[in-house]
Amino acid sequence: MPAPAPRVLREVPAAGGKLPSIAIGTNCPSCGVGLIARELQKQVYVCHCGHHFRLHAEAWLALLADAGTWQERWADIRGHDLLEWRLPKSYQQTIDQALQQGLNESVRTGTAKLAGHPLWLSVFDFRFVGGTLSIVAGERLARGLEQAAQSGLPYLLVTASGGARMQEGVLALMQMAKVNAAVGRLHQAGVPYFVLLTDPTFGGVSASLALLGDVNLAEPSAAIGFTGARVIKQATYADLPEGFQSAAFQLRSGQVDQVVPRTELRSRLARLLDLYSHAGRS
Amino acid sequence: MGQPDRHQAIEEKSTRSLLSVWEVVELARHANRPYSLDFLQRWAPDFVELHGDRLTGDDPALVAGVGTWHGRTVMFMGHQKGRSLADRVSRNWGMMHPEGYRKALRLARQAAKFGFPIVTLIDTPGAYPGASAEERGIASAIGTAIQEWFQIPVPVVCAVIGEGGSGGALGLAVADRVLMLENAIYSVASPESAASIVWRDNSLKVEAAEQLQITSRDLIAMGVVEEIVPEPGGAAHSNHDATAQVLGEAIWRNLEPLLKQRPGDLLQHRYERFRYIDSLVTAHPQFGPKVEPRLVS
Repeated sequence: MPAPAPRVLREVPAAGGKLPSIAIGTNCPSCGVGLIARELQKQVYVCHCGHHFRLHAEAWLALLADAGTWQERWADIRGHDLLEWRLPKSYQQTIDQALQQGLNESVRTGTAKLAGHPLWLSVFDFRFVGGTLSIVAGERLARGLEQAAQSGLPYLLVTASGGARMQEGVLALMQMAKVNAAVGRLHQAGVPYFVLLTDPTFGGVSASLALLGDVNLAEPSAAIGFTGARVIKQATYADLPEGFQSAAFQLRSGQVDQVVPRTELRSRLARLLDLYSHAGRS
Repeated sequence: MGQPDRHQAIEEKSTRSLLSVWEVVELARHANRPYSLDFLQRWAPDFVELHGDRLTGDDPALVAGVGTWHGRTVMFMGHQKGRSLADRVSRNWGMMHPEGYRKALRLARQAAKFGFPIVTLIDTPGAYPGASAEERGIASAIGTAIQEWFQIPVPVVCAVIGEGGSGGALGLAVADRVLMLENAIYSVASPESAASIVWRDNSLKVEAAEQLQITSRDLIAMGVVEEIVPEPGGAAHSNHDATAQVLGEAIWRNLEPLLKQRPGDLLQHRYERFRYIDSLVTAHPQFGPKVEPRLVS
């Protein structure tokens, strides 16, 4: 039997495609330097000082997927306002307005290739009601996880969420169980599950599927936790230390495997996909 | 407490189902409401409490252990609030730290080892919202617990006995059947937290409670719980013995048929129970066609 070909480190570009333009201020909020939009776009929205600007779903898809490989699934499913939520404004109005702005719920899911590896890819979009976990989001996640478990394709999740969506009440809470059940099946099927935690990841998302990856990666700028700092201060009157719930804090606390700068993210993911696709199973 | 007239009036209205949502919240949080230990002592007088997560500590906000019930050994676990101030402090008002979820999982796995059925009781405002819980990984402790409950191959019956708050409740509520006492509440977040999240003003708790639809009648209408257990005399705190009696009967009636199910079927049904728990919304035409899952068994 011939010896297996040695695996070599590949050159992987920082972005699979051209990132869409993102609204940024005139100056970097961290170092104050004047920003040039076109340059920042080429630097995958990382300032020279290391400040990582938040990306929305389309930007993450352009960054992670090899150009032209993203195939979205279940983009047409729509929720409705079961609880007849009225205050401070009607929930139906909230979701209709977001849809009109071209946003399509808080989770987008589909298949793509990353450095040639086919995979399932789901990204949260913080612009849609704070990236909150809703029934539509939970359904897209669960369907993709089930199909990945069936097909054996690795599953990559990019999180950005304030937690469960209050306006869907206890049924939003139930999404945590629904998606975690599906993650459990993915693990039992021996399929790799990678999570990239971005700013911010909290509440019902951090306490469901966000920290259950075989490998949890975090962006350097990400705040990650269960209860937000504002609520902790309100509830316990505690002074929270500098860097509380930062990516570095979660690395120290044993919740993430690595903190990876966005410029190196794609090559790190490609290497992980190489390593885990050669798992012991045939 | 301190408002006897008001509470008496609420009890009277409760027997006639005329309570406002906020009055139900007050009953769910009543200082004399029966807590987990009040039930366990009555159901299983030989109850032996088991402590510790075998990793870093023990969480007094969760009582857990084994006892004889209907002639067999059952694993019981439940959030525990305290009645005196000192007790409330030591129980952390029923708000669990990561150690609690890890203890629950340790004992769920032990129950699976011995084939003991599991009864869980929910009574928590939520997981502890403090720095100590964050530092020790409360989010992944809850997430892992929720995931692992789907792989515990013995019957699990859950009852919400007081407050079912948020992920802190769900971490103990992944079960084959979920029951609710009549005046218990079950919510994505406590009314105070929801008001703080949606309006940044937790004084709007009454409005939030009404919008969130958190009473037992709301929950059964949404298909999230299987059965409402009526509270004797209209309020559980007025008669602990009678409440323990009716709740015990209801739990056993739900548990007994599950004992005959094969473990594989039990886990498949538990999966489907939560996978399609939102069918009120997903069956709506605008949600689009249902995709038949191709499940790996």
